[in-house]
Amino acid sequence: MRRAVWLALIAVAVLASPLRAEEKRDFFKIGVVTELSGDLATGGNVTKRGYDLWAEAVNKTGGIAIGGKKYQVKLYYADAQSNPSQGAAAAERLITQEKVDFILGPYSSGVTIAVAPVVEKYKVPMITGSAESPLIWKQKFLYTFGTIPPVNFTGAAAIQTLVGLSPAPRTAVIFGSNDTFSKATAEAFDGAAKKAGIKVLKFNIVPAGQDLTPLMSAVKVLNPDIVAFGGHDEELIKLVKSLRQIDFTPKALLMHYGVTEPAFVDALKKDANQTFGGAVWTATEKTKGKILWKDAPTYAATAMKAFNVPADYTQAGSSAAGIAFQVALEKIKATPPVSEAKRAELVKELEKVDVETFYGRVKFATEGDFYHSNVGLNPLTIQIQNGRVVVVGPKTNAEMKAQYPMTPWSKR
Amino acid sequence: MKDRRLSGHLLVFAAMLLIPAVVHDTFLLRVFTEAVMWIGLAVTFDVLAGYTGYLNFGHSAFFGIGAYITAILMVRAGWHFAPAAALGGAAAGLGALIAGFPTLRLRGAYFAIATWALARAIQQGVLMMDITGGPDGMRLPALLSPGFFYYIMLGVVGVTFFAYWFLLERAPFGLKLKAVREDEQGAEALGLNPTKLKIQAFVLSAVPTGIIGGVFAYWVTFIDPASTLGDLVSDQALVMVVFGGMGTLTGPVIGAVLIFTFKTVFWAYLSDYEVLYLIILGGVIAASVVFLPDGVLGVLPQRRKGVEDHA
Amino acid sequence: MELLPQALVDGIMLGAIYIIIAIAFSLVYGVMHVIDFAVGEWIMLGAFGGYYLFQWTRIEPLLLLPAVFVVFAAIGYPLQPLIHRVLSGRRGNPLLMGLVFTFGLSLMFRGLAQTFFGFYSLSIPSRFSNGSFFFQNGGLSVTISSVRLTGLVYALVITGILNYLLKHTDFGLGVRALAQNRDAAGLMGVNNKRTSAYVYAIYVGISAMTGVLIGMILSLSAKMGPDYTTFAFFVVVLAGMGYLAGVPAAAFLLGIIQSFFLIYLDPGYTLLAVFVLLYTILLVSPRGLFGKGV
Repeated sequence: MRRAVWLALIAVAVLASPLRAEEKRDFFKIGVVTELSGDLATGGNVTKRGYDLWAEAVNKTGGIAIGGKKYQVKLYYADAQSNPSQGAAAAERLITQEKVDFILGPYSSGVTIAVAPVVEKYKVPMITGSAESPLIWKQKFLYTFGTIPPVNFTGAAAIQTLVGLSPAPRTAVIFGSNDTFSKATAEAFDGAAKKAGIKVLKFNIVPAGQDLTPLMSAVKVLNPDIVAFGGHDEELIKLVKSLRQIDFTPKALLMHYGVTEPAFVDALKKDANQTFGGAVWTATEKTKGKILWKDAPTYAATAMKAFNVPADYTQAGSSAAGIAFQVALEKIKATPPVSEAKRAELVKELEKVDVETFYGRVKFATEGDFYHSNVGLNPLTIQIQNGRVVVVGPKTNAEMKAQYPMTPWSKR
Repeated sequence: MKDRRLSGHLLVFAAMLLIPAVVHDTFLLRVFTEAVMWIGLAVTFDVLAGYTGYLNFGHSAFFGIGAYITAILMVRAGWHFAPAAALGGAAAGLGALIAGFPTLRLRGAYFAIATWALARAIQQGVLMMDITGGPDGMRLPALLSPGFFYYIMLGVVGVTFFAYWFLLERAPFGLKLKAVREDEQGAEALGLNPTKLKIQAFVLSAVPTGIIGGVFAYWVTFIDPASTLGDLVSDQALVMVVFGGMGTLTGPVIGAVLIFTFKTVFWAYLSDYEVLYLIILGGVIAASVVFLPDGVLGVLPQRRKGVEDHA
Repeated sequence: MELLPQALVDGIMLGAIYIIIAIAFSLVYGVMHVIDFAVGEWIMLGAFGGYYLFQWTRIEPLLLLPAVFVVFAAIGYPLQPLIHRVLSGRRGNPLLMGLVFTFGLSLMFRGLAQTFFGFYSLSIPSRFSNGSFFFQNGGLSVTISSVRLTGLVYALVITGILNYLLKHTDFGLGVRALAQNRDAAGLMGVNNKRTSAYVYAIYVGISAMTGVLIGMILSLSAKMGPDYTTFAFFVVVLAGMGYLAGVPAAAFLLGIIQSFFLIYLDPGYTLLAVFVLLYTILLVSPRGLFGKGV
């Protein structure tokens, strides 16, 4: 037994010996830390599809062009298991063992906040294509960026669209699940509603994952014009079913992320119709991309072909994170392996990135509460119409008129 | 015999002290730190489960209390890490003292479910509080020194292990606990005070767990209710203890090392098969209960004799 | 006040779901003395079984329940000897061994489900899902969802059938004898192993059917299991472990507490209240509300 321990220790010492020479390679090593298993695996796998699609598209063009030569990219995945401490370990492994040049980041805000100090320590830039909690950006991490604006930036827009409908909604009930993203969503809805002069009859934070039917019964009595809910995929599905079961149709039902996930329409079929949501990108948006994909529909078609699942904005944001790196790398002419000095330069360059992509404009804020988050996008209000996601606001982007008020459940 | 075993333990501990001298890879050092942490959580779990016969499904509550107290004192009150973590351990111990009195009257499944309910209640409470950041969790100042955390973790767990070794294997305390485990009424007839003994064991299990929670919080730099107060800590500690061998000190250590190594190797080098890991881990746990009732420790020949020596 | 009837109805409907989650679980504890950590995973697997059976046959899922029962009972039956082996013999702490064994099973099932069914949430469509009944009398009104009413009826039917089986059949006599005294039951000629195997099969079958119903009323996903394990624990402890007759009352109580918290008090504290209550009841009356647990 004791001998076994000694042998194990020696084996470890040999394995861990630091004398690994600085490698030479002609491709970029990119680490991906995201939630491939655990509670948040649904979202984690959406980001994975986005990152994979970008890598595949870049390599198809020959790679990232640096000074006349093209360098392929290769993704190295590490699973955060939906656990912040595991995310930090994952980042440390990718950086110290795989020696990745930079990192594409996690789906959730909690894991992102735990990973950020690690990339800060090793001076390895990270862009997350998903995390939406405003808390990340308030920390002002130098090496962490994000392509999706925080939810307090996007959530308000949907309320503004609703206010412009007629007859104008006057009352709302707002609630959110007690997780960091959903709570921030509900608070964003609440703030925007009050600002727009809508009377908030009830505001609650509820434990995650519960059956909310009794709460909806109470809401039915209040009879608000708007029911707004911040939650995740399964909770949204349960909520719509609850409303249907107690037979209450508000004038408008508003949620946020999750409405655009294909599973929402799949599970609810026609009951999904007319639900409003917030988004920063849809598959039909008329964007003018300069790199890899010329617009949103082209991207969506590639994505559909690759995975047979419609692309949502998280997936698009993840692909756009890759593009942001690509643009900055070409600009500073960094060749793999990227040195620490070059990585610092890369961060400076990322701060200057201002580029039109299939995903819209990517431009990271360099100060304030949205520090290093993408503020180049216009938040969109979307609605499910006939099982499809369509943009109904703001006016400049609207593809269709909003269907309002909602058709009662019994008439569907 | 026993003193030879102690020198063996000391030798292993000394070897572990040398690890940062030979391992320069910061990721590996992180893995070692976490391995030591799980050894600590398994050993503390076993004091109650193995020696006293009480299955504490709320072990994560001690860990979480330690982590949160440390975080709150450091972030909101500007304390230094060491006193904050010490107070975290004290808070966990105090919690055990208060909760232990009523809860330890329950037996078997009732105790298991009561502790689990209490831990879940604490998690829900933390989710609703402002001072803890609710679901947003708390971010601690980042001190990214792998060596520091390895030694702190090893120090806490090492002191715990040797204190346990002395109390449970050398002092009469361990025998008294086992007497309570085997026959509570009988123990009482012998003039022992089972309630007091059980509460002592509960506190003894809670204090180091709380400190480990505090070290974890500072080390990982971010805590939230799911990662510190969720079922993961209790479930995994239980599995490690049963897999290694319950009611001993070496069993949980072996269980922790084996299970943690399996998890980590799978996670780091076979991540394409990530979901398979749950299936294999689940299968290994179920099979170990069927085929290795005394844990891995039970199949090591010279050890089995040792176990009989104890009895 | 105007919400009171609705609060009660919602609570009862929630309670109905808890009955079917917990009743077979309680039976298994009473007979085999195993706390099955995998109860939520059986529910999850049953839900997916029902979902795919529906996709394949396009028959109303309620009518598929018997088929789901048969399939899962057949899966559960051969597992009992394994559990028996874990619980008996020279192992020190059978309760703990049973817990750890079923915990291992639950991890395996969840891993398998994530591999084969993916991560997305689904819903089982039923023609009963859509309708509701509305009653009004003066200022008081109540809406009753037809699919939840179906759940209530199903819960009562299952409870009734189990009750009949236990009280009026030879099989039931054997089960009750076994639950009271294992050795004496063996001496009286009860085939211990076979009776336990049937009980386990019935439990797995009922849990699987419950999954289908939950998929109709709420939703299903590969990660849903642990939530339902929580509720099963709660109800069974409240009822007194292994005391079947206590399950409906405990389940309705839990449903009504949740409903009242969500409607009248701060919804954020619902689960906190539930867990504090569970803990308190255990301290005050460890054998459940009726003091009749084993």
